Amino acid sequence: MTHSHDDHAPIQASEEVSEFEILETAIRELSIEHGLFSREDHRRFSEWAESVGPSGGSKLVAKAWVDPEFKKRLLADGTETCKEVGIDWRDPTGSGTPSDYTYFYVLENTPKVHNVIVCTLCSCYPRPVLGMSPDWYRTPNYRRRLVRWPREVIAEFGLHFPSDVEVRVHDSNQKSRFMVMPMRPEGTEGWSEEQLASIVTRDTMIGVAVPQVDWTATTPPSDNGGTAR
Amino acid sequence: MMTDKAYDVILNTLTPETTRDDVTLPDLDRKPDPWESSMQATVECLSWRGAWDNLDRRHTEDQLGETIYRDFPVRSRSVVATAHALMDKGVISPDELEAKMEEVRARFNRQ
Repeated sequence: MTHSHDDHAPIQASEEVSEFEILETAIRELSIEHGLFSREDHRRFSEWAESVGPSGGSKLVAKAWVDPEFKKRLLADGTETCKEVGIDWRDPTGSGTPSDYTYFYVLENTPKVHNVIVCTLCSCYPRPVLGMSPDWYRTPNYRRRLVRWPREVIAEFGLHFPSDVEVRVHDSNQKSRFMVMPMRPEGTEGWSEEQLASIVTRDTMIGVAVPQVDWTATTPPSDNGGTAR
Repeated sequence: MMTDKAYDVILNTLTPETTRDDVTLPDLDRKPDPWESSMQATVECLSWRGAWDNLDRRHTEDQLGETIYRDFPVRSRSVVATAHALMDKGVISPDELEAKMEEVRARFNRQ
C-alpha cells in the first residue's frame, strides 16, 4: 500500500524558537555537564510526568460515587486505598523525588461544606492522582489570597456559594497532599464509572469547579454546549 | 552577589511578545509548551540529586518573579529563577551561560 501526502498539507515549519526555550536547553545541558544530574535522570522524570494526569483522581471519585464501601475506605485512608486502583504513594515516580513521599487525604464535599486545596508555602500538589499542577495553582496570587479570601478567589473561576455553605481551605505541607471529592451531580443516575469519571475534571478535584453533566475535560465546548469560563 | 549586569543574559530573554499579560487566575490556564515540561523535569532533578531543593526554588521563584522578573510570564519563572540561582551559587558564570545559549541558538536555527 502506497502512502500519499497529496491529500493533506505538510507540517509547517515550526514557529521561531523562543528565548525561554533556548535558556531552558542551555540550563539543562549545563546542569548535566556540571554533573548536577544525568540525562537519564531527566528522561525518567519526563516520562513519568507525561504518564500522569487527572484521570487517576477522576477514577477514584467515580468509583467512590458508585461504591459506598470504597468511598468509606478512601475517606478513611486515601494513601492505602489508592493502591486498589494502582496508585502507590510510597513510590509514585520511581525516581525518589522527595516531594512525592506523603500521606494522601480525600476531602468530601457536602451540601454544606465545600473544600478547596492550596499550598501556601510552595506549590505541593497531589501529582500521582492529578498530574502536574496548572500554572495558576503555583502563583503567589492564588496561594496567598486563597487562604484569606477563598470565596472571592474561587468566584474568579466562576464558582459562587451561598453564605450558609462553609468553604474550607486545606493547606498542603511536606507530608500531606489533599484532593477534593466533589458531590455527584443530579442527572447522572445510571451512569457507568467511566461516564462519571469523564465529568470529574482536574479543577473539580482542586475545588475551583464542580462537576457538570455536560462538561468534560476532553470534549470541546462547541460539542458539548458548554460555555467558556 | 553578582552585579545586576550579570543577570542581563537572563533579562534579555524577555521580548515585547512574551511580556506578561495575564489579568486573572484562569488566564494562566494553558497547556505547557514542551520546553516548560522539560524545565519542570530539570528542577525536579536538581532537587532529587540535592543541587537545589524544590522548596528553596519555589521561594526564589516567588521572590524574583515579583521583583526583578515581574514582567516575565509566570510560565518562565522556573527557568529564569533557576538560571539566576545557578549563577548566584557559582555553579555557572554569566559568560558560560551566554556562550551556551549562543551555541543552542545556532543549533536550533541551523537550516
